[in-house]
Amino acid sequence: MADGASGSAERSVQVKLVLLGEAAVGKSSVVLRFVSNEFQANKEPTIGAAFLTQKCRLEDRVLRYEIWDTAGQERFHSLAPMYYRNAQAAVVVYDVTKASSLDKAKTWVKELQRQANPNIVIALAGNKVDLVQPSSSSPAASPTPESEDEADDATATPGEAPASGEAESLRQVPREEAEAYAQEAGLLFFETSAKTGEGVVELFTEIAKKIPIDQILASARGNTGRTGAAGSRAAGQEGGVNLEENAAKGKESCNC
Amino acid sequence: MDVDAVVLGSGLTESITAAALSKAGYKVAHLDVNPYYGGDNASLTVDELVTWADERAGDAPSTSYVSAQRSKYTSISKSGSSPPQSRQYSISLSPTIIPSIGPLIDALIASGVSRYGGFKLLEKVAIYTGPGSVKPVPGSKEDVFKNKELSLLEKRRLMRFLMFAAGDFEGKKELESKEDSPFIEFLRDVFSLDGQTAAAIAYALAFCTSATEPTLPSLQRIRKYLRSTGRYGPSPFLVGHYGGLGEIAQGFCRTAAVSGAAYILAHNISSIHTVGDGEADRKYKIGLEGLEETITCDLLVSSSGYPSPEEPSTGADTSGSSTSSTSYHVARAVAIIDRPLTFSSPPEGATDLFVSEEAEEELAEGEQPPTRQELDTALLVFPPSSLPGGSSQAAANALVTSEGSMSAPKGKWILYLSLPLLDATTASAEALLRPYLDATLTLAVPDATSPAPPKPLFAVFYIEHPDAPAAAPSPSVLRAPPSSTLISEQADSATANAEALFWKAAEALGAAGIRPKRTPEAEGEEVEVDVDSFWPPLDMIDDPSEDW
Repeated sequence: MADGASGSAERSVQVKLVLLGEAAVGKSSVVLRFVSNEFQANKEPTIGAAFLTQKCRLEDRVLRYEIWDTAGQERFHSLAPMYYRNAQAAVVVYDVTKASSLDKAKTWVKELQRQANPNIVIALAGNKVDLVQPSSSSPAASPTPESEDEADDATATPGEAPASGEAESLRQVPREEAEAYAQEAGLLFFETSAKTGEGVVELFTEIAKKIPIDQILASARGNTGRTGAAGSRAAGQEGGVNLEENAAKGKESCNC
Repeated sequence: MDVDAVVLGSGLTESITAAALSKAGYKVAHLDVNPYYGGDNASLTVDELVTWADERAGDAPSTSYVSAQRSKYTSISKSGSSPPQSRQYSISLSPTIIPSIGPLIDALIASGVSRYGGFKLLEKVAIYTGPGSVKPVPGSKEDVFKNKELSLLEKRRLMRFLMFAAGDFEGKKELESKEDSPFIEFLRDVFSLDGQTAAAIAYALAFCTSATEPTLPSLQRIRKYLRSTGRYGPSPFLVGHYGGLGEIAQGFCRTAAVSGAAYILAHNISSIHTVGDGEADRKYKIGLEGLEETITCDLLVSSSGYPSPEEPSTGADTSGSSTSSTSYHVARAVAIIDRPLTFSSPPEGATDLFVSEEAEEELAEGEQPPTRQELDTALLVFPPSSLPGGSSQAAANALVTSEGSMSAPKGKWILYLSLPLLDATTASAEALLRPYLDATLTLAVPDATSPAPPKPLFAVFYIEHPDAPAAAPSPSVLRAPPSSTLISEQADSATANAEALFWKAAEALGAAGIRPKRTPEAEGEEVEVDVDSFWPPLDMIDDPSEDW
C-alpha cells in the first residue's frame, strides 16, 4: 500500500469472525476460498490453523478479519465460550442440498444470540450452490479461475457436476425459504459456492460494511491508546499484556 | 472412534497434556463429564457456580464423578442471592496469579495458545498488618528504594537480602546447613530481618503458608518472582482474563482440536473396559452415556475423580492421604461485591504510600489529586495471627479481580479468599473465612451515603481437599498428579505436571509401538515423526502476524 504501514494501520481494525454450521457444509472451504482463493475438492475435516487472517478493503478503511474455525469442536457440542468471546461477526453456513443443515444453522444462530456479543453481525450462507446450478450458467461474476483442484474427485460430495436438468432437483433448501428466515432473524443472507467462488467475496464484504468500525476503533483507542498497529492481538485490544512481546527474555529461563 | 490416547478431564494439566500430545501427532480424544471446560480449574458464570455448588452440596444419588467431587469439595454454603448478568462473570474455581517467567508462560508461547487469551498485570500486593491497616509489599529493589516507610537500616538489610535472593544462592555460605530450617528464622538469623519486614518477605514475596516452611524452596520462589518482575511490567504476576486457568485450559483444548483432537463434553462415562490380552495389545474401550459410538484407545490419561478401567488383579491404591508438601486442604470463598477495594490510607492520612507513579505524575501536572486508588486486580496477604479470629498457623490471602481482567461486569468485583488448613478442623468453611471476608471488606472505598463496609451481594464458601496421588493400575493408565495449592505456583505446577505426563504418555505409547504422525506442510501424506520436544515448532501457517 502506498501510504505505508503507519497510515494504513491507523485506519485498520481487527475483527474476529467465527464460523459455525453442521459438519461438512463447507465452512472451511468458504474461508479458504476467501483467504487464499483456493478450493480443495476432497478436503479433510478441519485440521490446521489456529485462525486465518484476511484483510478486506472498504473505501478508505481496511478491515482485518481474524477467522476462527470450529476445529471440529462443534461436533459434540463442545465449543468453548472462548470461541464466541469478542467475536464481532459470525458466518453460519448450511448446505443448500441438505435441508437438515438449515435447521442446524438455526440452532447455531440461537446459540450465538445467547452466547455472543449482542452487537455481533451474523450472516447466513447457503453453500454448495454450484451443485444446484445448471453447469452452463456458472457465474461470470466468479472472481476465480477454477483450474486446479477439479479432478480426482470420485469421493467428493455426491452430485458433482450434474447434468443441467437434474441440478435444481438436488436443492433441498429453497432460496426464498432461507432468505425469509434470515430476514426475520436479522441476518445477512448469501448463497455461496466455495468451489466456484460465487458469493464468497460479497459475503465478507457485506459483513464488513455492517461492522461498526468507528465504534471498535474508538473503544480500542480508549483502552490501550495504540491498538490497530501491526502485531496487535485480541489481547492487545483489551488493554492486556501481550505475552509474546518479551518472548526473547523468557527463553533464557526456559530449559528447553 | 479409535485413538492413541484418551484424556479424561479438562483441568489445566490434562488440557496442556492433550494439546501437547495432539500437536506431537498423536490421535487424541479429550472428554469431560462437565458441560464446561476446565474441570476443577474451570471459570464459571454465576449460574454455573450455583449449579456447581448445589450439585456438590447435595446428596441425591449420582454418578461416581459427582461422588468423588463431593469428597473433594465439602462444607459448601451460599449466602446472598445470585446477581443478574450471570454470564458476565467468569468465576475461577482456582484463583491464581501467574509468574511472568515460568513453565506456564513458556508453554503458552511455545504452543501458540498465548494468542487466544489475554492477561492483566496484578496491580498490587499488600500485607494485612492490623484492623483497617495494610502495607504495600515491595516487589523489586526499586520499590524498596522508593519506600518511605522503611528506615535506612532496614532498607540496607532488605536490599542485601534481595540481592542474595535474586542470585545463585545455592551453595552460598549464608545458606549452609540452613536449607531446611524455617525461612522466618533464616531471615532473622542471617539477614537480621524480623517483624513486619520478615513477615512481608515470607508471606507476600515467597507466599509461604506457615512459619515453619523451609528456607530453600522459599528462596527459590522469591528468585523466580524477582526475575519475573519487569518482563511484562512492574509486577511479576499476571492474572488471566475471563477467570484465568479455566480460560487458559480452553485455549489449550482449542489448540489440541486444531491439531485434530476430538472433544466431547457433558457425557458421563458409562464404562471403561480393558480389551485385548497382555501388556502388548491392551486397549481400553470407553462407553459414554447418550452416545452410541465407543472410543478405543491405547493409553488413558485421567484426572482424579474419573473411573479407572476395572483391573481384577491389581488392587487399586487407596492408601493416598499423603500429598505433596504444597498441596493443602484449603478453605475457599468467592464473594461478589459492588464496591472497589483500596489499599490506600484515607486521604487525610499522613503518608500515602500507595499512590502509583502515574497518579504522582497527574498530581505534578496539577490535575485532580487522587483520593484513593480503586483496585481492579490485587492481592492481599494475611500472615498467621494477623487477624483476631483468623488462623494463628497459616497465611491466608484475598485476590480481587474485576472488569480489567474481563471477569466481572463494570462496577462489580470478585473476591477470592483462600486459607490453607494445616490441621484437621471441624469448623465450616464459612466460619473459618468470615473474619477474613469482613476484614477485607473494611478496605472497600467508602460509599458517600453509607460509611459501613459493603456486604457481599453473593458468596459461596467451601473446603477443597487435595487430590490424593493414586497409583495407576497399569503403565497405560496415567493419572494427572495434584498441583500445588499455592496461589502463585498452581499454574506452573500444573504445567510442569503436564510436561511430565506428556513424556510418560509418549513413552507408554512408544512401548506399545505407537508413533505420532504429522502431515508436513509440503505434501499431504502423513509421516511418522519422533517426539523430541514438549512443543513442536510453531508452523508458519499458525502465525497470523504476516506483514502487510
